[in-house]
Amino acid sequence: MKKVREFLASPAVTLAAFAAAVVLLLTASIGGARAALAYYSETYSTRVQMYDIGVTLQENGKSVSWRNYDANAADGSWDDSTGILLSQMVPEGENFKIGKKYTEELNVKNTGTIGQYVRVSVYRYWMDADGNKLPQLSPEFIGLDLAGEDSGWLVDEAASTPERTVLYYNKLLESGSESPLFANSLTVSPRAAEEVTQESTTQDGYTTIRTTYDYNGAQFHVEAKVDAVQEHNAQDAIWSAWGRKVTVNNGSLSLD
Amino acid sequence: MKKKSAALAVLAAVMVSSAAVGSAWAYFTTYAQAGGGYAIRLGDETSIHEEFSNWTKRITITSQEGSQPVYVRALAFCGSAYALDYSSGSGKWTLQEDGYYHYSDILEAGQTTDELLVRISGVPETVEDGENFNVAVVYETTPVCYGEDGTPYENWEQKVTQKSAEGGE
Repeated sequence: MKKVREFLASPAVTLAAFAAAVVLLLTASIGGARAALAYYSETYSTRVQMYDIGVTLQENGKSVSWRNYDANAADGSWDDSTGILLSQMVPEGENFKIGKKYTEELNVKNTGTIGQYVRVSVYRYWMDADGNKLPQLSPEFIGLDLAGEDSGWLVDEAASTPERTVLYYNKLLESGSESPLFANSLTVSPRAAEEVTQESTTQDGYTTIRTTYDYNGAQFHVEAKVDAVQEHNAQDAIWSAWGRKVTVNNGSLSLD
Repeated sequence: MKKKSAALAVLAAVMVSSAAVGSAWAYFTTYAQAGGGYAIRLGDETSIHEEFSNWTKRITITSQEGSQPVYVRALAFCGSAYALDYSSGSGKWTLQEDGYYHYSDILEAGQTTDELLVRISGVPETVEDGENFNVAVVYETTPVCYGEDGTPYENWEQKVTQKSAEGGE
C-alpha cells in the first residue's frame, strides 16, 4: 500500500495524470463538436396571418385618401393620408365652366388583407370664401352623377338628404380588389347662374336697382367619406359600427 | 382589513377582465375621406367707348377685370331722315337674325372688342343751325354658356330668377 502511495505521489505520475486530463478535455470537446455536427433539428417554417384592414378612396384611378392598419409596423400603427378632391379636374390656365360635364370617377379599393364591406357618404354643399357653409344655396345645383343600383351601389334613402347621399356596396370587397365607380362626372347646373337678388334703393328721387348673382363667389364643395368594416360577422359588425340594419347573405348585402 | 384587501383584489381582477372582453367585442373598421371644390365667378361689368368723326361712330366695348366671359351685341338708332351703315375692319362684327350686330369672339375679363363703325349716311352738305343728329347706340352682353362637352354658346333668352332684397332711401 505504501508503494502505491509513493508511486502515485511521484512527479512522473502527476505529470502523466495532468497530460491525461488535457487529452480527455480535448477529446471531450471534439466529441461535442462531432455531436453538434451529427444532430440537427429539422427546419420548421411558420406563417402568421395578420388581419389588417385598410381602405382607399380613388379618384380617376388614383389614390386620394387611405387608412390602412399595419400590424407589421413596430408600433402596430395606421398608415393614413387625406388628399384633396377635384384638384386636377380643371386644366391649368382654364376657369371652371358652369354647365360643362367634368370627369369625376370615384371608387373604393380594399387595401387591407381581409375582405370588407364598404359604404360611402357623399356630401355636396356651398361655402363662402372663409369656408363657412352657405345652407341657403342649393346642393342640387352641384350635379354629381352617382352610379345607379345596377352598379351594385345601393342608396340608403333613409340616411340621405339633399346635401348627403349614403351608398352601400352590395358585395363583399375582397382584399386588393376595387369597387365599381360610385360617381362618374360632375356638372354645376347653369341654374346657379340664373339666381339673382335685386336690391332697390331710392335717393334724391332716383331709384337704383342693383342686381347681384346669389352664387357669385360661392365655392361648391364635394366631400366623400368611405367606411369599411370586416367581412367576418359583418351583419353584426355593421350594426355595431354604423348603426344600420343590413342583411348579409352569401357575400351579398341588402338594406333592411 | 384582510377582507377589504381581498375585495379590492377581486375588483381589480374584474376590471382587467372586462377590459379584455371589450377588445374582444370590437370589430375591424377603417375609413378614408377627401373633399374639394371650386369657387365660381358670376356677373360682369362692361363699358362702351365711342368716338365720332367724319359722320362715323367708332364703338368699342370693354369688359372690366373680374368679369365672367360674355358675348356682346350692339345696335345703333337714328332718326328716319338718315341711314346707318355698319362696317367692321376685323370682320368680327356681323349682322344676325335678331337685327343686332354680334361680336364673334368671347369677351374675356379685361379685353376690348375691335371697332364697330357706324357711318351716318345721307347727311346734307350744309347743316342748318339747330339741326340735331342723334345716334344712340345700344349694346347688350350675356354670360357665356357651356354645353356638357364644354363648347361655348350664346343664350340671349337666358332668364334670371329674382329675389327681392330690402333697400333704403
